[in-house]
Amino acid sequence: MMKDLYLIGSLPGWLVALIGAATVALLVQQFFGLKKRLPVGQASILTALRALVYGVLIFFLFGPALIDKRVTKLRRPLTVLIDSSQSMGFPASAKSAPGDKHAKSRLDLVREKLDTGGGKDSLLQRLSRDYDLKLIRLGTGLEPISTESLAGLKAQDPGTRLLELLQTAARDSSAASALVLFTDGITNGDKKTLDGGPALTVPVFAVGVGEAEGFTDVRIAKVGAPEFAFRGREFKIDLTIQAAGMKGKSVPLFFNRGKNIVTTRTVAIDADVFEQKITLAFTPKDLGTHGFSANIPAQVGEQITQNNQKEFKVDVQRDKIRILTLSGSPAWNYRFLRMAMKQDPLIELVSFVFLRTPTDTVDVPESQLSLIPFPIDDIFLEELKNFDVIFFDDFSHRAYFNPSYLERVRDFVRDGGGLAMLGGPRSFDAGGYGESALKELLPVELDGKGAYQAPVTLSAALTPAGKAHPITRLLPDPKSNEEAWSKMPALTGMNQVRAARGETLINTSADSGGAPLLTIGRFGKGRTLALMSDDAWRWNFIAVGNKESPQNHLKLVRQAARWLAQEPSFEQVQLRPIASVQPGEKSQIKLKVLKDDFTPTRQAAVQLRVFDPDGAPTVVAASADSEEGEYTGEFIPTKEGTHRVEVEASLGGKVLGKDRGSFSAAFAYGETDDGLPRLDLLKQIAENSKGEYFSINDWNDKALEKIATKLETIAPSQLVEQRQTRLWSTLWPFSIVLALLSVEWWMRRKWGLI
Amino acid sequence: MMHRRHFIKLLVGSTLLPQLAYASHPADKRRLQFVFAQLKYRGGDWNPHPLSVTPLMEELMARTSVEAATVRHEVSLTDRDLFNYPFLYLTGKYEFDPFTQDEIEILRRFLTYGGFLLIDDALGQQGYGFDKAVRREMLRVFPGQEFKRMPAGHAALRSYYLLRRIGGVRIVSPALDGITIGNSTPVIYCQNGLCAAWERDQVGKWTNACTPGGEPQRRDAFHLGINLILYAMTENYKDDLIHVPFIRKRLTR
Repeated sequence: MMKDLYLIGSLPGWLVALIGAATVALLVQQFFGLKKRLPVGQASILTALRALVYGVLIFFLFGPALIDKRVTKLRRPLTVLIDSSQSMGFPASAKSAPGDKHAKSRLDLVREKLDTGGGKDSLLQRLSRDYDLKLIRLGTGLEPISTESLAGLKAQDPGTRLLELLQTAARDSSAASALVLFTDGITNGDKKTLDGGPALTVPVFAVGVGEAEGFTDVRIAKVGAPEFAFRGREFKIDLTIQAAGMKGKSVPLFFNRGKNIVTTRTVAIDADVFEQKITLAFTPKDLGTHGFSANIPAQVGEQITQNNQKEFKVDVQRDKIRILTLSGSPAWNYRFLRMAMKQDPLIELVSFVFLRTPTDTVDVPESQLSLIPFPIDDIFLEELKNFDVIFFDDFSHRAYFNPSYLERVRDFVRDGGGLAMLGGPRSFDAGGYGESALKELLPVELDGKGAYQAPVTLSAALTPAGKAHPITRLLPDPKSNEEAWSKMPALTGMNQVRAARGETLINTSADSGGAPLLTIGRFGKGRTLALMSDDAWRWNFIAVGNKESPQNHLKLVRQAARWLAQEPSFEQVQLRPIASVQPGEKSQIKLKVLKDDFTPTRQAAVQLRVFDPDGAPTVVAASADSEEGEYTGEFIPTKEGTHRVEVEASLGGKVLGKDRGSFSAAFAYGETDDGLPRLDLLKQIAENSKGEYFSINDWNDKALEKIATKLETIAPSQLVEQRQTRLWSTLWPFSIVLALLSVEWWMRRKWGLI
Repeated sequence: MMHRRHFIKLLVGSTLLPQLAYASHPADKRRLQFVFAQLKYRGGDWNPHPLSVTPLMEELMARTSVEAATVRHEVSLTDRDLFNYPFLYLTGKYEFDPFTQDEIEILRRFLTYGGFLLIDDALGQQGYGFDKAVRREMLRVFPGQEFKRMPAGHAALRSYYLLRRIGGVRIVSPALDGITIGNSTPVIYCQNGLCAAWERDQVGKWTNACTPGGEPQRRDAFHLGINLILYAMTENYKDDLIHVPFIRKRLTR
């Protein structure tokens, strides 16, 4: 505390000067008056005393006052933000060897510079002493930490929402505070630049960690691939390759499907800061979810190798159902089967009609025939897997190829393909299939004795299963459907079979013997269908002649093709597509369950299992939704990666069906994608907020002083209190005047003037 | 060559000829995939060459895997069983009476939903007689759709033989005419008198000489008949992608 004397009088100077002049004149007159009665010395003493009195009084006209000043130093709030995202685990120095586990990480360097484990005078402790210090770790969120926990802080946040969190921290800070930010500047939140954002309300002292100069890295920055593609159709993959500090080098790029290399490219890096877009193409041949990866081998001197690989999945779907038909000869059944399939945009048809048997002779050279050799090996050994369904349309293998090829057809069905056998003199037992590899998979029993019968007259009769099944559901209304079937024209050819092994959807009418006419079955993962007549075309063209619609036949063919191809809309258990989520976020898994009659049910027992990327299963409870047949289960993934989902539904102990799907859980940040420190961004942040940028190497006492000085210029940290005391209002002036006048009175009396 | 074989066959089996008059004779237990149905109509002459079909059917069965009835089936547009025979043959020499409106609608329905009509002008006079009547009636069936010249690469000309010439008893037109609906040509019209070229008498002798090309021209007529039947039964099967490279290769030899 200190006191200062101030003159705070309010009289104008000229008046004081006038009073002073009058006083001097009075004193002169007083001196000469005294000199007449007293010696000069005594007159001078009395005049001097009176002059002192007048002087004191005139001095008080200036308003003398004492001011007390009390100075208080404030502890300024300061928030230290430490980036704990995964990129802070990258090497601090650009000279670190790749894969060097002992190399100091960026976070290690921050810790070292703050010297958390050091002596009493560490920079952190100095900050703690000089400021009201708060320590916060920054990643995808803000989390206060203690100084003690700093030693154990790990670089593990999956992202850095730097710019968003800086705004939050600034808003939470008081006006006179500041932020000190330790980070590599890598930001991957929603905001990537300062453009367009509000100004920071407190100064930010950004301490840049990591070295942009000399940083060496090549990475696959972006992958643009479709989430799903169609089988047999080429799709494109756009890759963005970025590199830093590798000018003049060429690096190989491998594009793989699973573990198999699809193609390779060489990327010539011709700039220090390099970017190139590469487009690759792939034509998937198999259905299902395919895992792809693009990778660049680790390069000499490269700091970060995690970003050299990108993985992605493409769900390959069928854009069309690919059907192969083998017809024993040209026939009207083929003509109208072809018509039904060709008019269906979902079906891609490849058909072979055996126009000539080995016993038929020709009268021209082969070169004048349009006949092509049946590519047996290509079809049965190579291409079969690319079809969804095979139709044997009054076709017998006996004249054309070795029965061992039928084993391929059996494997094809067991692995999920569909097989339909249509009747005729070359089908079923009449075609020799009772002794073939197809015997065990057909939905009818063959005993080698079943003959083909024609001409006969037989009508179709729906069985109870046929009334509900999607193949024979020609009209949505059950009654109308039965009526439509009752109007179907009679057929004239029939293959005898011993019995139905699968589910019979249509029998011949009771007066025609009640034999199975259309039967379906399952074999392995695949499906089978047997139509014991070569006359189904009559359901089309004769119906036209009867002024009925040909659509019933067309619909029957198309629905049979879809059922055989296991189109999802024909499945009783259908898993809906599952949206991608971030780890920790709730994933909703929805499914639909249909009964055997293809009506929805809410009474099904649903077993839903989710397998995490490591294959660990979790049973998820699924409950019925308000909408009939719809079920929902909820699952919260904890790991990044593809999660497999399997569902099985049953009703009354009978399994209705199964389905499987997958979804991906991934953080959207891509934290480890790019390790290049963004020191330029930190400089911008410091400049825009009126703070200052420091390299981590410059973080020392001087930096602290600079921060203190800078903060002082922005807002002083001392508080000064003042108290004013007017002297006139104290006893002292009156006492002095009284004392002087008393001395004068005493002298006058002594010297005989009174 | 077909002549000798079928000649002997017919000669030996001449006593069977009355039986062949019926397409579905009870003794014929074969599963018939094809019946040649010939359309009857009023006026004119619907049957100028009554023995023309059997030689064609025999040729069809000898060359291809099709099991066919050896004799034709005669049918009129109002017959109840018309739609049992998706292949119809219409021939004649003279102008015939217009179809009734019912017959027109039946024929339109027949051709629109998958049936096939082969028209063969036995007279070979463009703009007269049968040709005039056919064009008139087809315009009623498909209003606004005239016959158009079929391209050389049409599937009907590749359905079995790779045809470069159109045969017949005489060459009135070197190409076929057709009416195309969508991707299909349900009506094909030949003006070269196919039936006359196919016809044999009862002892197996050709009834009519083919001019000017002689027997090769007759052979072309048989080839065309077989191709058109297979086209009707397989539609544009030979336009499927799998056949294209083979056919192109053979045609460029």
